[in-house]
Amino acid sequence: MTLSKKDLRRLLSEYKIVALLLIIAIIWGFFGFLTYDADLGGSQFLTARNFSNLLRQMAITGMLASAMVFVIVAGEIDLSVGSLLGLLGGIAAVLDVLWGWPLWATIGTVLLLGIAAGMMVGWLTAYVGIPSFIVTLGGMLAFRGAVLGLTGGITIAPASEGLKVIGQGYLPGGIGNILATVVFVILAFLAFRTRSGRIKHKLPVSSMVVEVGKLAAIGLVILGFILTLNSYQGVPVPVLILLVILGAFTVIGNKTVFGRRIYAVGSNLEATRLSGVNVDLVKMLVFGLMGLMCAFAGLTTTARLAAGTPSAGFGGELDAIASCFIGGTSMRGGIGSVIGALVGAVIMASLDNGMSMLGIDTFWQQITKGIILVLAVWLDIVSSGNQR
Amino acid sequence: MSEYLLEMRGITKEFSGVKAIDGIDLKVRSGECVGLCGENGAGKSTLMKVLSAVYPHGTWEGTILWEGAELKARTIRETEEAGIVIIHQELMMVPHLSVAENIFLGSELTSGFGFVDYDLMNARATELMRQLKMPDINVALPVLAYSGGKQQLIEIAKALNKNAKLLILDEPTSALTAAETQTLLELVKEFKSRGMACVYISHKLDEVAEIADTVTVIRDGTHVGTLPMAELDTNKIITMMVGREMKNLFPREEHAIGEVIFEAKNITCWDTTNPDRKMVDDVSFQLRAGEILGVAGLVGAGRTELACKLFGYWRGDHQGRIFLEGREIQVKTPADAVRQGICMVPEDRKRHGIVPLMGVGYNMTLSVLDRYTRNRLIDAEAELATIQAEIIRMKVKTAHPLLPIASLSGGNQQKAVVGKMLLPEPKVLILDEPTRGVDVGAKYEIYKLIFELAKQGVAILMISSELPEVLGISDRVLVMGEGKLRGDFPNAALSQEKILAAALGNPATAAA
Repeated sequence: MTLSKKDLRRLLSEYKIVALLLIIAIIWGFFGFLTYDADLGGSQFLTARNFSNLLRQMAITGMLASAMVFVIVAGEIDLSVGSLLGLLGGIAAVLDVLWGWPLWATIGTVLLLGIAAGMMVGWLTAYVGIPSFIVTLGGMLAFRGAVLGLTGGITIAPASEGLKVIGQGYLPGGIGNILATVVFVILAFLAFRTRSGRIKHKLPVSSMVVEVGKLAAIGLVILGFILTLNSYQGVPVPVLILLVILGAFTVIGNKTVFGRRIYAVGSNLEATRLSGVNVDLVKMLVFGLMGLMCAFAGLTTTARLAAGTPSAGFGGELDAIASCFIGGTSMRGGIGSVIGALVGAVIMASLDNGMSMLGIDTFWQQITKGIILVLAVWLDIVSSGNQR
Repeated sequence: MSEYLLEMRGITKEFSGVKAIDGIDLKVRSGECVGLCGENGAGKSTLMKVLSAVYPHGTWEGTILWEGAELKARTIRETEEAGIVIIHQELMMVPHLSVAENIFLGSELTSGFGFVDYDLMNARATELMRQLKMPDINVALPVLAYSGGKQQLIEIAKALNKNAKLLILDEPTSALTAAETQTLLELVKEFKSRGMACVYISHKLDEVAEIADTVTVIRDGTHVGTLPMAELDTNKIITMMVGREMKNLFPREEHAIGEVIFEAKNITCWDTTNPDRKMVDDVSFQLRAGEILGVAGLVGAGRTELACKLFGYWRGDHQGRIFLEGREIQVKTPADAVRQGICMVPEDRKRHGIVPLMGVGYNMTLSVLDRYTRNRLIDAEAELATIQAEIIRMKVKTAHPLLPIASLSGGNQQKAVVGKMLLPEPKVLILDEPTRGVDVGAKYEIYKLIFELAKQGVAILMISSELPEVLGISDRVLVMGEGKLRGDFPNAALSQEKILAAALGNPATAAA
């Protein structure tokens, strides 16, 4: 059997995630080869330690990208997330370091403030009718200004030990293993329940072999993931938080009324409105969710640096948006997945990490990332046959 | 030299095997105004698109003689250079450019090196405005500073600037006030006296009667007749426009009509762009349970606007009261309407009906998704069961229930959209052109469904531009014209002529 161009295209568009994982494999292989050093006993890129670092680096972008997917799917954009992250991180530092609030109060306040800020942006966009590009461009400037005012332009340190765990801690290996097993069992259970449901309603299903194969592949990925991380220090706490967010957001996107409506709004706003859906509320809540993720990312940033800095999260919105687009989110709305965006974030983080390790100048790093973004979206357009 | 400026002979244009127009003749002498009449969809616009080369030579059959020689234009520019200029129903203006810039758009006057010569352009534009007896227009102001009527005249100035020999006006007065309409008609008369020819397309037959010398009537894409206006009156034109046999396309079923369930009182809607213009003007009506109320009228009569207002979707200013089951209700958004039991199947399926990237089934459950939740999560089993039942009830032909709706045929998409609006179990169902762009088979199924719903006691308001459909389905017919309610007839002994006469506001036939 020969694989025609059309077959390949169909395969890639149906299993977009496979294509993205392939790209990650290529990038990792490439850096693994270039950083090979016989004296140090192997490749410096492909070590458990570096893998752990890489995931910790991408966790913050990943948190932003998880919610950014919904914003873009709903047909909007949010340019203010980097600045809002900085502001919320700064507030966390002030509460924790200067005011000495207990950890739960700091976290609770920052999360609530994040939701409030996101809802405000959403209200201005959905109800007042100012385009989100403008509202969030304004937010990007205003929030950053607020950070500078709040911190007085200086770093606020040192963060309390409790807060630092969020950014720097690790999950003990045993608990990690148990969690990984539980996740796999849940995934397997869900896969078979969905399958039996589809059979009952005479929907097309893939064959049992493919189904089991898929689960085996997922199992291998989970196994490799947990073993690698445990061989260093365990799953980093921010990565754990991100994985929980991934699970929760995937459920929101696929299994809730709210999630279904996000996709409907992005695909055809007016038809959704005429179906009796309160589309303005859907949009506002999406921005609220985005604000909440900014709060998570802000707390993690402050915890990781053990300090609040005025430049925290600078440019974070662009990394998050790029991750979404690399991960197959459509600019025109209506299409996109959280897992895709996270894989996009891994690609971006791998490029950063690998090139830094090779000592490549920052300017080359930026040029490369820019090219990769354009290339990835072009590939997506070609593979989905959406050419004009 | 031929006696005619323009002679179109045996023009036939097919769209994927279906003849939109079939063997139509149209002749225009210099200095003559020809009225072109026909119902919505009769083929008037298609004919004009053939003439102005929107459909280039070779994509249609027949011959066009222009000043005695055959015209084989392939682009709009060629026809414009020959002197044929068309003014479309929707104005083709760039609102933020000045009047003069719009007039010279595409043929800007330059002083060399590509620099626009604004002084010359403004002077020439001012001169044109003087010719059009509108010296008070400042040609340097943006077009949006002027009303729809003035803009229409500016559009005509643009045509004059192109040295038009034949001016085609497609529904030029549909957006104009009475005074503006009169100015336009006077202007056309003056052009005629100067030897310019004109094709005037309008539903407003009194205007046609006033300025046309000859009238050509087309119906269902065929040429019905061409007669001098002197031998015609508006009633005769209406008879020529309609005169078609009724076939038994409508599976009429008896249904009991109950009490008044819905009432609209003094509904008025203003235009979104021209807030002085009333799109719907003080319309009141009642609707009974199990009753099918047809709403007839020509394009621009305000029917869709009325439906939007009732469904909480009208964007401009509006007033009026709505009663459901004897209680006054507030309908500010479509969500309010659906919650209270009013559903609407919109006119424009692509823009307002379907969510293209989602599956057929997910489209259908969009309004009622809340019902299929357990612990806040969607119960996929329950949802799929409903989807499948609904697909069977609506006879939607789809390979499987979650196929993207955009991949289905128009008729099946429409059935799915209707199904979506039935799931909330409405008490009042508004159908805006429910069979537009739908094949005969799907039409029949939609009609059957309408009767089925009426039997169940749903009150149905059906807007339709197809008069046979209105007559074949309705129990009662409302006729609208220029935003006003022009008639409220029981369907017994109602004819297409009577509806059309009422829609055109022609009292002679309305009384007959």
